[in-house]
Amino acid sequence: MTRRALVVATTFLLALIALGAILYYFIGPRHGAVQNASVSPIVGKAQLGAPAPQFEVASTAGLFDLSKADKPVFLEVFATWCPHCQHEVAIVNRLYQKYRTSVEFLGVSGSDTAMDGTSTASELDVLNWVRRFKVQYPVAYDPLLNVANLYLQGGFPTVAIIGKDKKIDYLDSGEIAYQDLVGAIEKVLR
Amino acid sequence: MVGLITPLYDAAPGVGVAVAQRMDPVKAAVLVVRVFLGGLLLAAGGLKVGHPAELAANIAVFRLLPAAIVGPLALALPYVELLLGGYLVAGLFTRVAACVAAAQFAAYAAAIASAVVRHIPAACGCFGPHDTSVADWPHVGYDALLAAASAFVAYGAPGALAVDRKLRSA
Repeated sequence: MTRRALVVATTFLLALIALGAILYYFIGPRHGAVQNASVSPIVGKAQLGAPAPQFEVASTAGLFDLSKADKPVFLEVFATWCPHCQHEVAIVNRLYQKYRTSVEFLGVSGSDTAMDGTSTASELDVLNWVRRFKVQYPVAYDPLLNVANLYLQGGFPTVAIIGKDKKIDYLDSGEIAYQDLVGAIEKVLR
Repeated sequence: MVGLITPLYDAAPGVGVAVAQRMDPVKAAVLVVRVFLGGLLLAAGGLKVGHPAELAANIAVFRLLPAAIVGPLALALPYVELLLGGYLVAGLFTRVAACVAAAQFAAYAAAIASAVVRHIPAACGCFGPHDTSVADWPHVGYDALLAAASAFVAYGAPGALAVDRKLRSA
């Protein structure tokens, strides 16, 4: 094969990759999920060590009011379409089973897009998320994204652990390892 | 007769050791760095294939590019990395591939540095969705080193055992 033929083949291959990427982005089988994931997420005003911004939401376990919580709070802001959040459910379920008596767990939806990546988020979508991913901890649908606007740290999921003194003891986003979260919870329980 | 600049694959069986002994140290170094960088890009690209949404989310967190670019970039990047990695390992279009790799690593270093400076808690995602290492100054340093290594390959291209040599002599 000549150098010229290889140059042509490479150019063709690069054009094919670019065209394929653009086509998939608009009409691919999971294009909605890719489009949603491409949007830069909100960064809320919550800060590590600072007082936790007050919020209240209706969860699957009843009304949750942060100001009335008498135990440390494990807050997860998630999006039902977010693959990282879907992976993280198993970890939060394990934590919930281990610490449910000493820590209040709460997942709050933080995106206006539903699990399919195209339709609008709804309470039903959040309940479907609970069923599909076998979420064991209380979950809330937040239609105005108030909690996300306060706590989200640039990525789904965002986890905040709030101490009994209502200060933020842990704040991170993305897929977080089980042992890291156990360490953070143990620290707040000390 | 096997000369100093004759590539190894042109040597007859059994002559390899003698050729290796006479191999130009710069060409040998370029070969080693080239294969290392190519392998790294092949691994990074391979681990990202099939996870476009995760990669898009990782890129979007940096808040540097609009969504209309982040999405297609997340879809194309793994295959571009595989292509670059393959070319570097084979020593095909070595100088161009190494220049592109250097630009790519420099862009990664700049993006991570900007996230660190802006206190954005971004995950590196360098080796696919399960790479949750935090984008921090050491990562900036690694990417800067890789950019420098790529520049070295571009400077000394194509190095020993490169398809480019075969094409040149054809």
